[in-house]
This record gives sequence, C-alpha cells and structure tokens, in this order.
Amino acid sequence: MLEEKTQLDKRHSRAKLDVTDAANVALFLAAFLGIWQFVFLLRIWPEFLMPSPAMVLGSITNLVANSSLVVGTGVTLLRLAAGFLMSIGIGGAVGLAMVKFPGFGKTMSSFAVGLLTFPSIAWAIFAILPFGYNDMAILFVIVMASVFSVMITTYSSIRNIPPIYLRAASNMGAKGFALFQHVMIPAATPSLILGIRQAWSFAWHALIGAEILITITSEPGLGYVMSSARNFHFMGDIITVMITIFAIGIVFDRVLFRKVEEKVRSRWGLDDRSE
Amino acid sequence: MITAEYRQSNSMLLQVREVSKTYLYANNQKHVVLNRVSIDINDGEFVTIVGSSGCGKSTLLNIVAGLDRPDSGTILVKGKHKTSTDPGRLVIFQEGALFPWLSVLENVEFGLKLAGVPKSEQMQAAIRFIDMVQLSKFAGSYIYQLSGGMKQRVAIARALTMNPDILLMDEPFAAVDMQTREMLHNQLLQIHDETKKTILFVTHNLNEALALGTRLIVLSPRLGSIKREFSINLPRPRDVESPQITVIKRQILKELEEEFQFVRRENTVR
Repeated sequence: MLEEKTQLDKRHSRAKLDVTDAANVALFLAAFLGIWQFVFLLRIWPEFLMPSPAMVLGSITNLVANSSLVVGTGVTLLRLAAGFLMSIGIGGAVGLAMVKFPGFGKTMSSFAVGLLTFPSIAWAIFAILPFGYNDMAILFVIVMASVFSVMITTYSSIRNIPPIYLRAASNMGAKGFALFQHVMIPAATPSLILGIRQAWSFAWHALIGAEILITITSEPGLGYVMSSARNFHFMGDIITVMITIFAIGIVFDRVLFRKVEEKVRSRWGLDDRSE
Repeated sequence: MITAEYRQSNSMLLQVREVSKTYLYANNQKHVVLNRVSIDINDGEFVTIVGSSGCGKSTLLNIVAGLDRPDSGTILVKGKHKTSTDPGRLVIFQEGALFPWLSVLENVEFGLKLAGVPKSEQMQAAIRFIDMVQLSKFAGSYIYQLSGGMKQRVAIARALTMNPDILLMDEPFAAVDMQTREMLHNQLLQIHDETKKTILFVTHNLNEALALGTRLIVLSPRLGSIKREFSINLPRPRDVESPQITVIKRQILKELEEEFQFVRRENTVR
C-alpha cells in the first residue's frame, strides 16, 4: 500500500517536473532569440555574416521547400545508422573476444584506449586515398571513430559483472549462450548503455566532419549541405544545418538513449537514492 | 546420534567423501582449509555446520555445490558422482545473488526458463513458491524495492522452484537484523516441514544452528575437519534459551572455545 502511494507520488512529481522543464526551455529559447535579435539590430556585422532569426527562418523554409534539408538529413542518418551498426557489430564481437582471450584483451584494450582519443578528422583524410570520395570512406571514418569505444565498453562491462550473478546462474544450470544471453548481457546493460551512448556521440561527430571533408555531390548529407552553403556565403543555410545537427543530437540523446537508460536505471533501483 | 548403520547405507542423499582443500597464498604458505572431511546426509535432514570464520565451512558448501573443486575427495548425490554444478544442489548465497534486471516473479522463474519449461508452468511454479515465502504482493516488484529479509525469501523461492535434491544455505541470514532473522527461521522451518527438502545450512551463529538443525556439525579450523557432531531431536520451532538446548549449547561452546584458544595461540606465535 505504502509502496503504491510512493509510486503515485513519484509519477505526480514527475509530471510537475515536466511542466517546469518545458517552461524553463521556453524561457531559455526566448532569451536566446531575444539576444540574437538584439545583437543583429546592433549591426556590428554585415547581414550575410550575422543574419537575424527571421532570416534564418527563411533559410529553413527555403531548404525544406527545395527538399535539400530533408534529403540531407535522410542521407546523413542512413550513413549514421549503417556506420554505427557496423561499429556495434565489430566492436561487440572484438570486445567479446577480448573477454574470452584475456591475453588478447589486455593488449587490445591498451591499443584501443590509444585509438579512442584519436581525432576522427584524421581518419577522414586517411580514408580519401584508399576509398576515394564515396560512402565507403565516410562509413570507414564513422566506424574508426566509434568502434574502439564499443570494444572497450563491451570488454569492461562484461568483466565488471559481479561474479555472484554468474555463480548463481551457473548453479541454476546456465551455461554457454544461455548464460551470455540471460545473465551477462542484462547484467552488463547499465554500463553498456553508457558506453554505447559515448560511441554514438563519437560516430556523430566523425560523420559530420567526414561529410564536410569527403564531398559526395550525388548524395548530399548535412555536412555537404553546410560546406556548399559556405561556398555561396549562405550563412542562413549554414545556421539552418547547424540547428538540424543540434536537433538530431538532442533527439537521439534525450529521446532514445536517455529513455532506455532511465528504464534500466529505475529497474535496477539506481535512481532512487533516497531509498 | 546418527548411527553407523546410516553411514554404511548407499541410500544416502548426499555423501561428502574425504574432501580436502588447500589454499596457496602469495607467500607460498599453504593453508589446509579442509582435511579429509566426510559427511553423510540423509534425505530430508536439516544439517547445520557451525564454526568460526575461516574454518572452511563456506568452502565446503561451495565444493558440495560444485562451484569449487576439491583437491581430493568426492561428492555423491544419491550415489552418483558429481563434479560440476547443477540445479540439484542449489546455493542460497549470503546476499546479492538475485538479478536486479528481473522482477521478483521473473527471478523465481529464471531456473525453469533455463530448463526450457513452458511459460505457463514456469509461472505456476513460481507463484506457488512466492506464495510459500509470503511475497505474493511483491511478485511484480524489482529487487531494489525489497528489504534484505525479503530478498532472501525470494532467493529461497527461486531455489525451491527448481525442486533441488538439497538446499545449500551459506549464512543466508547473516545480513538481516535479529527480529527479521527469527521470522525467517520460522518460515524456513515451515518450508522444511512442508517440502521435506534436505538442507545443509552453514552459519557462524550458534543460536541459529541450534534453532534450526536436526543435526549440528562443529567444524574445526585447526583440524580442517569435523570436530564433533550433535544430534538435536527437539521439536521446532525451538526456544534457544530452554534448558535442553542450553545443555547442548554448553558442550558446543566448549568445543568452540578450544578452537578459539588454538587460533589465538597460533596468531600470537606468528
């Protein structure tokens, strides 16, 4: 009974929190747009360098109308999905091999840690010669930027599973793939999510950079739309793409990762510090 | 007392045969934890093992469970050699062995899911044992929402669901407060009555051992083996302050005191 009540309270306070959050965001946005407009009105910079919010809105409608924003977003997201899934596949497999063969794991993890901080833009330059200006080069950059993060996360998340779970599970008859599927993966999930989220942000950074450097006119991604806008001095278009990139980042982080993470954390009871 | 006739029979549920285990420390010092320990346990018995920490009682339990390997000696269940762990000998760990990513119901169903039992049967069995440990209201709760005592009841239900030959309990109530522990004792005795499961229960708490077991084994850290065995044929639940229990308790305390003095001597010599 008591439990039900506290859960209701929690839900109630969460709803209240959502309203406050929305109000805060609206206030922040209003202030941001206000300052922007104010700076614009000071006329410190010429219009083509410092467009007003209304002018950027014009760019947005323009880019939506000629469908380059939609196409760009689609192309970029497809690349992201393909590259990131490859990263998860390769990084996950190598990470598991690292757990399975400790000698390999130890060596590989110091190697991977080194590559983790390696600037992804350097991979873009590296990729152009062997692959040329095409999707393969961009995919390569995404994978190189995020695969080591997935690898290390897989390796450390599984190694850090409390041994008692594995002992209890094997005592109950879990072995081989069943142990992996029903115990190791769920036990490693809270830490896996954090790592995958980090890998995602690496992939996202790398992708936009790669699209700017590796120009593919036939498949214009967001990075390309941005860099071609620069050639024509279309600051409004540049800002439009930046807003789009920002929005995609927020949607992925807030809606996708945060939701999954919250669900897992509440199951494990990692959120209720008061209890 | 358990008679010689029992020992010779092959109908024993669990036979621990001359099990030895030595740990090697970093400084190459050997520590003989178990030295040719033999215990026979009959079907339906509730055997408690008491001994100070470091006497090897948990090691013994892990070896019986197949989670740890003996250096020599064998474990037989119903006359069959056992070398690896299996759900016939389930351990109730001291704490923390429930899966936080599953609800209470899913935790209790877990073993049956592994065994490939149909979903409806999993649920039926799980609900039956969740009822038995009186946690029906919490079937949908997650582990962090439960108190320490409730968690151990879930662990017991999870083990019972798999219908093991023997329950191996490794200081399962060491981390709960005294009042809760007493309640858990009564519940465990009721379960023992109801299911007639064989239980091997390890504890350092003498009162706990006296309250629960039909047989009490004192394990000696000095010998690495059984110091003495007591048969306690008193009805349960028991009052551990009663004169009959006190008589037994005094004898056991005497045995334990000798061990304690030995350990103290050894520590001062070192």
